[in-house]
Amino acid sequence: MRDPDQTLDRAIQTLREPVEIGEAFDRRVMAEVAGGSAPRRPGPIGRAGRWLIQPHVVRVSPLVALAAAAALVVALLRPWERGVEPGAAATQATARSVASAAVPTRFMLVAPGASKVTLVGDFNDWSVDSTPLVNGVSGGLWTVTVPLPPGRYRYAFLVDGRTWRPDPGAPPALDDDFGRPNSVLTIGGS
Amino acid sequence: MLRRVICGSGVLLALALAGGVAQAQEPRLVGRLSDAARAQVDTILESARRDGLPSEPLVDRALEGASKRAPDALIVAAVRRLVEELGAARDALGSGVSDAEIAAGASALRAGARPDDLAQLRARRAGRSVTVAEAVLTDLVALGIPPDTAAAAVLAMAETDDAAYLAFRRNVERDVALGATPVAALMSRVAGGETAVADPTGRPGPRKP
Repeated sequence: MRDPDQTLDRAIQTLREPVEIGEAFDRRVMAEVAGGSAPRRPGPIGRAGRWLIQPHVVRVSPLVALAAAAALVVALLRPWERGVEPGAAATQATARSVASAAVPTRFMLVAPGASKVTLVGDFNDWSVDSTPLVNGVSGGLWTVTVPLPPGRYRYAFLVDGRTWRPDPGAPPALDDDFGRPNSVLTIGGS
Repeated sequence: MLRRVICGSGVLLALALAGGVAQAQEPRLVGRLSDAARAQVDTILESARRDGLPSEPLVDRALEGASKRAPDALIVAAVRRLVEELGAARDALGSGVSDAEIAAGASALRAGARPDDLAQLRARRAGRSVTVAEAVLTDLVALGIPPDTAAAAVLAMAETDDAAYLAFRRNVERDVALGATPVAALMSRVAGGETAVADPTGRPGPRKP
């Protein structure tokens, strides 16, 4: 069995022996040191990253800064867009209602045998289900009362979700573009 | 370097603004019209707003078409036709009129009134709204009265208030319902000095089925 100390000594000695390097290697190293090869140039992404990380001093006149700030505010607020926020339509409708006193207006339709009747018109964005009529005690008489501010409204009844009927008690609207006639209601404000 | 940064920022800002304009859309039309129809209607709306015309009647017309399941082409054509009528009404009424007056004027023109009728109405009701007068003119035509006769009657009442107009229309309507011919009903009310019996409340009566 070998003495562990002797083995260790031999390994240390081996490591301490000088390594012979050829002349070609020396020349190559000296050529590199002398500047034969430039450091690698970073690519566009690397340059952009370095530009973003490094601090910069930007000098801008107050006028240009104000113009840029104003343009940014305009771009963010986008005043040419109406009601981008959800519920903006409801806000507009509310504002219109508050602007002038609403008049409770009763709508009626006789539709015996109908299972559902809704009021559809300008005042509810032509929603086919937001303003249902209620079937009265006497069968077939459907009614609903809607507060409407002064104005002129076009509307119709939708029976059972498929049959459009004008209000027989109101003048017909002459501007029917879709082949299903409407009625018109005018509520005075002065 | 600084120049490049400023130029680059300008380009980005211009792109943001252009993108914003391209995305401007009426939120109530989202989900109601197809993308293609909505894009065309949005373009018409933008144009109308630039020209100072009311956009609300145009949105209403598009929504009506959507609820009635009209084809895209019909909806766009209806909105396009209406914007032309709104422009004609605004031109006839002159400057300083409200959106409601323009919209009611467009309906009157569709009914057959002449632009000159609207201009005269505005002139004779200086300082007062012509919305209800225009609406009554349209309603009288809808009852079967020729447009020129209806316009003459409405112009003859130009000094009255909105309540008188509404009462006049309601009475003519009632006479027609009782069997009078539309023109005879109109003439009898005009001859009878209808303006003196105006409903002071101006509110519509109970609605009958």
